[in-house]
Amino acid sequence: MVKLAAKCILAGDSTVGKTTLAQIFRSDGAQFQKNYTLTTGVDLVVKTVPVPDTGDSVELFIFDSAGKEPFSEMLDKLWESPNVLCLVYDVTNEQSFQNCSKWLEKARAQSPGVSLPGVLVGNKTDLASRRAVESAQARAWALGQGLECFETSVKEMENYEAPFHCLAKQFHRLYREKVEVFQALV
Amino acid sequence: MRKVDLCLSSEGAEVILATSSDEKHPPENMIDGNPETFWTTTGMFPQEFIICFHKQVRIERLVIQSYFVRTLRIEKSTSKEPVDFEQWIERDLVHTEGQLQSEEIMGRDGHATYLRFIIISAFDHFASVHSISAEGIALSNLS
Repeated sequence: MVKLAAKCILAGDSTVGKTTLAQIFRSDGAQFQKNYTLTTGVDLVVKTVPVPDTGDSVELFIFDSAGKEPFSEMLDKLWESPNVLCLVYDVTNEQSFQNCSKWLEKARAQSPGVSLPGVLVGNKTDLASRRAVESAQARAWALGQGLECFETSVKEMENYEAPFHCLAKQFHRLYREKVEVFQALV
Repeated sequence: MRKVDLCLSSEGAEVILATSSDEKHPPENMIDGNPETFWTTTGMFPQEFIICFHKQVRIERLVIQSYFVRTLRIEKSTSKEPVDFEQWIERDLVHTEGQLQSEEIMGRDGHATYLRFIIISAFDHFASVHSISAEGIALSNLS
């Protein structure tokens, strides 16, 4: 049995719902914050996620940092040595989806040469009539980037756990792979 | 006086703290004299472990076999309890793809009762330490 620890960085434009996603995940769906507050520094959400079919678990340290400049300028420090990435966009906001590649690049630049497991999360599926980014379009891009793809509605509390469970699973798989590498050394 | 590997569990050394623990790869693996067994870090850095000699020793040569360790700091204490650590050595290691890193340290003033190893950063998400060996002399038992 092992408990892994992973620094998870939450990235994406401001107002896509990063903070709400993290808070709902923390409280198991108990809280939906109706009033928007701009995250200016960083919030830390810590939660342990079991890895299915193993006795193992992953403690996620979710760094929820500002998506809006100028606050995003200190990200280089806050994002140092990430283990996994949760990339969020708003399905009603085409620009927030387009900017994902910029966020992904910035996250990957934090640890060049090291693989960074990640998920792409399209939030606000409850606003169906205003949808601007089709699922297929997001899926195609995510696939090309090696990201697992999810859609959520944090407002309706739908599917908000799946992305984090997926990250825990990916990180656990990575650990297993590295242990095999260590074993093969001698 | 007889020179021995002071970091062997068979010589009385013990890992009294480690910040990561996978049951399958416990910290004792670092001091069992077998480089095939290892301790793994389990995510995020820094990570550290403390070796207790249970006696006063003078270390002349220290060899650390590891993988993916980038910056390593070693502190030592000469107290009876694991307190009052002073920085002894800090090294940036080189990544050796597919091969164990073998870092040899000839420390000045190697008097110690405890060594504290801090892995400040690594080349990957996880790092492993396969063996720690310290050539030197056991001076006296802790009363």
